[in-house]
Amino acid sequence: MTDFLQTLILGLMLGGVYALFAGGLTLVFGVMRIVNIAHPAFIFLAAFIAYTLNKNLGLDPLVAVLFNMPIMFVFGMGIYRLLLAKGADSPRYTQMTVLITFGLALMIEGILSFLFTGTIRSVNPPYAVQAIFIGDIFIPRAQLYAGITSLILIGLLALVLRYTRIGYAIRATMQNRAAARTVGVNVERVSTIAFGIGAALAGASGALMSFLFSFFPSGHWEWVALLLSLVVLGGMGQLMGAVVGALSLAVAAAFVSDTLGPTWSPLTFYLSLFVILLIRPQGLFGKKMEAE
Amino acid sequence: MESELFDPQSTTNQKQPGLPDAVRTKTPSKVYGVGGLLIVLLLFPGLHLLLGGTLNFYLNLMLFAFMYIALSSSWNIMGGYTGYISLGHNVFFAIGGYFGGTLLVYHDISVFVSAPFAGLLTMLVGLLIGLITLRVRGPSFIISTVALVLVVRLILDNWRYVGGANGMSLPLLDLPVAWSKIPFYYAMLLIAVLAVFMSYRIRHSKLGLGLRAISQDEIKAEAAGIPTRRYKIIAFALSGFFIGVAGAIWGQYLTYISPSIFLLILIGAQMVLMCILGGKGTVAGPIVGAVLVILMNEFFLSRFGGTELNIFGTGLLMVLVLLFFPDGIVGSLRKMRRLPGFLDWD
Repeated sequence: MTDFLQTLILGLMLGGVYALFAGGLTLVFGVMRIVNIAHPAFIFLAAFIAYTLNKNLGLDPLVAVLFNMPIMFVFGMGIYRLLLAKGADSPRYTQMTVLITFGLALMIEGILSFLFTGTIRSVNPPYAVQAIFIGDIFIPRAQLYAGITSLILIGLLALVLRYTRIGYAIRATMQNRAAARTVGVNVERVSTIAFGIGAALAGASGALMSFLFSFFPSGHWEWVALLLSLVVLGGMGQLMGAVVGALSLAVAAAFVSDTLGPTWSPLTFYLSLFVILLIRPQGLFGKKMEAE
Repeated sequence: MESELFDPQSTTNQKQPGLPDAVRTKTPSKVYGVGGLLIVLLLFPGLHLLLGGTLNFYLNLMLFAFMYIALSSSWNIMGGYTGYISLGHNVFFAIGGYFGGTLLVYHDISVFVSAPFAGLLTMLVGLLIGLITLRVRGPSFIISTVALVLVVRLILDNWRYVGGANGMSLPLLDLPVAWSKIPFYYAMLLIAVLAVFMSYRIRHSKLGLGLRAISQDEIKAEAAGIPTRRYKIIAFALSGFFIGVAGAIWGQYLTYISPSIFLLILIGAQMVLMCILGGKGTVAGPIVGAVLVILMNEFFLSRFGGTELNIFGTGLLMVLVLLFFPDGIVGSLRKMRRLPGFLDWD
């Protein structure tokens, strides 16, 4: 029983972090129908920023969240204007964005390997190796802090979407781009900001990643399928879907890792991705994501 | 050109519609040109031996180019003609490499014998994968191909029999240095020629016509009576064949197989880039793209060393081509009506 609870709690905490990692991806798809293959590359870029801040200024990676988010917000808006704003109304836009962001991911990977070499890195704040015990159950402090940070940020995002003017505009654009334009939403501007928010979430995710996981420039490919599987399970574009998808798959992976060994836990994500795409491509809560 | 494609002759049920007359009668110079080029390529190793084996660098570069011509021409059948972008075609490459390598290590069967069978196995696997992944289209398909690479990678990384993540060393061919690259040169040349020929035949067949209808509008194609699902799966399997054959030869050439050689995302990216740069959906495009990208890689490597900038360059070129040049070189030239005859095989 303790063992079961232990696995469940670790899975849930990891799931909370995954939800933040996938949040930007699903938001960007929901608003603009962009499948951002470069989202994990954004996270890695942010992880390296947090790493640099920590190494040179001794900044705690949790504080780096506050630096990363505005940096990545501006970066994201720039990327959107430069690379993705064109042809947003074409039926093949989604497919096009997959390829463009694929190229973008390669570019980021190239720059990161050039600047930081291929060495595996991680940031080690003091709490990275400490744990809290509640009875027999141990909770690593790093995961606890990361999980709480994720929940706060996702909550904030949900509040922004629900109660602010830009939130209304983003949700209107999600529901129907043409209709939103008709009622006076500046769809282009909203898209730029939404992409910026997506990148800012990647910025926060990167700061968390820097002390939760080890990272190296080409490691982001493994995260592509993992994050996409969470998002696809929940339904592309559904923020709450991504949270549910992240929590359930992370728990499932934790149990797979517990019974079959940690090598096979990634397989949970890849295989579930296949199964979902085949049985229910629109995901648990989503609308169909087929182009055309 | 278009009227010729809708000629009833080419859409009847003939299994082997001959070379279109237009190619044979109107522009024979084009055919002579290609024949001449092939003869030069066939004789090149002779020159190498005459010069005392000093051209190994060029042999290596050329066989690398032949391989990528085969890879991107094969990718083109799925990604170009059919419009289904696959980022997972290096799975076929890995299957070919591992099939050839395993037979060589455990049963001492030369890859030059096993390579065609590697192709057949790849085709079979392609058929199975196609049955599953081709139920979805558009972005869902692309995502499933990314996941496919990672699944295969995970399996190979943990499969002891084939060496796991460390891979396996293959025995070296017992040849003097001057001769060592020549069998691979001819093998890759043959694979490239056959792959391009297959691409050409598909382009000018009923299957090819159906595939291009699918890339235009799949629902209308289906309504018009094209068995879209069967066509897509056939195209997917066919596009795997020569990639598998090339994988087997490539493993022996490197005398080493490991997941990190075959399942590098960069290899999949290169196939896509070459095809898009040259002009996807055209017969000559992947050839032009492959040659240009390989020259660019060589330039990056010799000028800056290291592969980091090469990865960056690949990504940058991909983004630039997609944004400003989506028809690729052959496609854009055709649009401007400036396409030279020797590149016009569509």
